[in-house]
Amino acid sequence: MSHDEEVSQEMQNAFVDGQLDAADWTALVQRMGSDDVLRRRVCELRTLKDMTRSAYSGVHPGLAAPAPHRVRWARVAAVALVFALAGWLAHDALAPGRILAELRGVAADRILVHIASSRGEVVDTALQEVEDYLRDARAAGRQVKVEIVANNSGMDILRTDTSAYAARLERLRAAYPNLTYIACNQTADRLREKGATVSLLPGVHVAPTALDEIVKRMQEGWVYIRA
Amino acid sequence: MRITGLFGVSAQFRGRVEALREPLYRLAYSWCHDAGLADDLVQETLLRALDRAGQLNDPQRLKSWLCAILANCLKDHFRRARPLEPLDEDMAAHGETPEGASASNQIAARVRAEIERLPLGQRQAVTLVDLEGFSYAEVAEILEVPVGTVMSRLCRAREALRTRLIEFAGEQNSKIRSIR
Repeated sequence: MSHDEEVSQEMQNAFVDGQLDAADWTALVQRMGSDDVLRRRVCELRTLKDMTRSAYSGVHPGLAAPAPHRVRWARVAAVALVFALAGWLAHDALAPGRILAELRGVAADRILVHIASSRGEVVDTALQEVEDYLRDARAAGRQVKVEIVANNSGMDILRTDTSAYAARLERLRAAYPNLTYIACNQTADRLREKGATVSLLPGVHVAPTALDEIVKRMQEGWVYIRA
Repeated sequence: MRITGLFGVSAQFRGRVEALREPLYRLAYSWCHDAGLADDLVQETLLRALDRAGQLNDPQRLKSWLCAILANCLKDHFRRARPLEPLDEDMAAHGETPEGASASNQIAARVRAEIERLPLGQRQAVTLVDLEGFSYAEVAEILEVPVGTVMSRLCRAREALRTRLIEFAGEQNSKIRSIR
């Protein structure tokens, strides 16, 4: 996708539905960083998607008059008006499941690794690649920075009550001060709406949304890699 | 009555099928917006599924398989009800108008009314993706249409909904803020 090329409606829909491959997804996120109209359009699509979900959330067999979810509606309406940032997209537009590329082959020195899934193979691969990358960089005397940004079910790895990786993450953080963990506050809000208590591991930072953080870092020249 | 008590297929299969009853009902309702018909469609879907359990080759695809059966049940219903009408995505919608939406559930009712106004093919595409999270390829398989058709139906559906609902959502937000 070149920068001058218009992003088709099909592409915008595929983005919010998590149907783009990693390359197109990344290109579109980059494009949104500088294209207000595109960002607004995508936000509208996200809003519509959520409105549709909410409209039927109270539909159950035998229930003649489905009831809407009041809390959720307030949020949907607020977002529809504000269209604040592409961050609205983050909670589940980011399709999980793609395997991390060979991180050690990346020449850049600032890397953001995005984990949107708690699936073992995804997290294991991501953490292993990050550790290998940091170790190799240290051995070569390179000053690098790595940020792991988690949202959706990927947030589980950063929560005290759900993480199967707490010890490993703590060991990595202690060994590599240039490694940062970022949790998505939007995902946390959604979890709290469902009644969960969200307690994060020590040293985990919070961004308003995963996508905010990704867009910000990409604008700063970081390399984005999705696990 | 629990449907699963009636059949000789494995208990595990029966349990998995019945566990999907609620999402199937939600989907059926979103397609027809008629609680009674939705119930009938789901019942028929579950019956057919249990009757044809041997045709499901990949257990991982149970949900999409059931949705495909549901879509066929709906087709059959319309064929029985209106045998001379063409069954395609441009088939006219029916039922409640936006003006008829109840005040108490105003937003949800308005959204459902607008979805109901969509042609059936668009309605099915948008609800399969948004309510059940199916991929485009899965929706194509469920509805027995090409992936490109799914994409174009989604585009048209969302464009129609955007035109009709985004401004409305903003108005509702103003009301919510004024109440606070």
